[in-house]
Amino acid sequence: MARVMALNLWRDRGALLMTFLLPPLVFLIFSSVFAGTTGDDIQLKLAVADTARTPDSGRLAAALVRSPEVRAEAAATVDEVRRRVKAGQADAGLVIRADPASADKPFLIIADPSRAVAAPLAQARVQQVLANALPDVTLRRTVTQLEPALGGFTDEQIENADSAAALMRQDPTHDDGGFFEREAVKDAKVGGGVIAYYAGAVMILFALFSAMQGALGLMDEQSTGVADRLLAGTAGMGPVVSGKFLFLVGQGTVQALLIFATAQIVYGVAAVQHAALWLPTTLAASACAAGVALGLVSVCRTREQAQMLSTFVILVLAAVGGSMVPRFLMPPWLQTVGWATPHAWAIEAYQAILWRDAGVGAVYKAWCVLTAAGLSGLVLAHVLARRLRR
Amino acid sequence: MSAQTVSPDPIATVSGAVHAYGGRPVLRGVDLTLRPGEIYALLGPNGAGKTTLVRVLCGRIRPDGGAVRLNGRDPARVPAARAGLGLVPQEIALYPNLTVAENVETFAVLADVPRAGLASAVARALDLTRTADRAHVPVKHLSGGYQRRANIAAAIVHQPSLLILDEPTVGVDLDAREAVDAVIRGLRDLGVAVLMTTHDLDQAGGLADRVGFLREGELALEGRPKALIAEAFGERMEIQVHLAVEADAAGQDRLIAEGLRPTGRATVWTRLDADGYAAAGRLDQSLREAGLAPREIRVRAPSLAHLFTLVAERKLAA
Repeated sequence: MARVMALNLWRDRGALLMTFLLPPLVFLIFSSVFAGTTGDDIQLKLAVADTARTPDSGRLAAALVRSPEVRAEAAATVDEVRRRVKAGQADAGLVIRADPASADKPFLIIADPSRAVAAPLAQARVQQVLANALPDVTLRRTVTQLEPALGGFTDEQIENADSAAALMRQDPTHDDGGFFEREAVKDAKVGGGVIAYYAGAVMILFALFSAMQGALGLMDEQSTGVADRLLAGTAGMGPVVSGKFLFLVGQGTVQALLIFATAQIVYGVAAVQHAALWLPTTLAASACAAGVALGLVSVCRTREQAQMLSTFVILVLAAVGGSMVPRFLMPPWLQTVGWATPHAWAIEAYQAILWRDAGVGAVYKAWCVLTAAGLSGLVLAHVLARRLRR
Repeated sequence: MSAQTVSPDPIATVSGAVHAYGGRPVLRGVDLTLRPGEIYALLGPNGAGKTTLVRVLCGRIRPDGGAVRLNGRDPARVPAARAGLGLVPQEIALYPNLTVAENVETFAVLADVPRAGLASAVARALDLTRTADRAHVPVKHLSGGYQRRANIAAAIVHQPSLLILDEPTVGVDLDAREAVDAVIRGLRDLGVAVLMTTHDLDQAGGLADRVGFLREGELALEGRPKALIAEAFGERMEIQVHLAVEADAAGQDRLIAEGLRPTGRATVWTRLDADGYAAAGRLDQSLREAGLAPREIRVRAPSLAHLFTLVAERKLAA
């Protein structure tokens, strides 16, 4: 039966191409998209209105326009900023409503609640630009804020502060003035974590998607009379179910091979170097997808039911399991629920192997869970195939 | 099929089979015996119980009452009993992207044909069904007739002693039907017991050694087609009157007075008459005098279709 499915696929060249070309292609798209959104190079589109019109506010507006961290565009009025944000023409808006060195709150951030991350990101980018390009303003604002607490400054102190500010203005130190310094946990693999994540995410997504399509063949065998023919003999549908399982495991493995080969060639993900653990992970994930697909399709009585159920299950599992949105961006309860999906186990296992250089101890549980889920589906499919005799 | 000589022992027997779905009786004490080297056509209107009886024979349904034996064993309890059974479904139950040979080989493997004899078993099945010249053509590219015969090839590759065909010629043209009939006859001549369900009464009449009429779960009539027809109609011939236009009420009264009865078509009336052609001549003259000029009058020997109608309308047999 595995040979029948292989020949069937081989002779349908369109399906063959889509089965093996789409997974690496989708991986490239997903990794490009999500590496951008979760990485360090998000360029926020910021509408900036300078209503204070002081020399320092003008300097800040100009610095924002020059900054590579944001894509700042000047706006004439506050209303214009609001209009652009509401229309989605800008991710967030900044209104400089007083001199940046003043003690009040000189900045107003305008953001659409549906882009929740835009407001804090805009705030951080403005602070970053302020510290880098206008350190003298930061100093003068600090002095202004300290003055009441210290009971005023002497003329000499004020003169010294002004001199320091003038120096800083001439030669900004590019110190962000904050508390933080960053260290990447693995200098050699900057950005690769997201790639490894999405290689695993797309692998399990496509393994399940292709397995569902393959398992739908069970419905064709019922509608074309193949099941009737086989059920009249001694073997029944058992060999058909087992043969499909083997084929789908092989198909999932080849798809994974192509996805991770692409990840290695394009992004340098060290898949070959971890082949000893990659292979069992891939086999377990493919077996899980094949078994779950066969079990789900067997539960259905018509092809239409099976198609609807498989679409629903693929989408929900992919969303909850982290194939669409990274799991670490999900709320904690959803991350916990995610462990009920094969996607989470597969993704975490691949990341552990390829990104954290983990050993068997870190992934054996995932192998067991994925294999057990796959075998459970296979057993269910066998049991329900016997139901067809009636 | 391995037994070349005709055995007097039946290959399959159904004795007093009773079965109901959700309290609705489908089989009401059916007896059926299938012997090697004979073609048995199971006839009956939709819902008569043909499919259920076939499922009982295939061991897919254990009847509520009665006994079923296939090669001496209960096919529902002993899977090995089904080793000598081949089923040809009504649909083309093959993989369309695979060639005829690949399909037949696949079903041979699934029927536990030994690896060593696989190639010869496939070649034999293709020869018997006259599909060897299309062995390497994908099934989806075959004509309807070849597809039907390939459908049979996949069911006989393991050399079953009983072959069940469900509507084997539905949707095929006359030439293709004759080719399928020839294949079925060839299998019968090799000693295979053939059970076919069909609505094609001409095919059943020309092909079957025995026919059985199933009506509301009971075998209403069974026997050799010619004997059944002779018993039911004797020397009488069927006279079919084709009118140019539909008769009005008075005309219909006249047709009935002439002993004619309506058929499914409003312009066609029929009657049985022992005088055959002479009676047809007299009838033609009588109808013309009454202003009911027939467009055509046909005289023909009663067929299985005529018998089927009588059985279905409960005008014949219990």
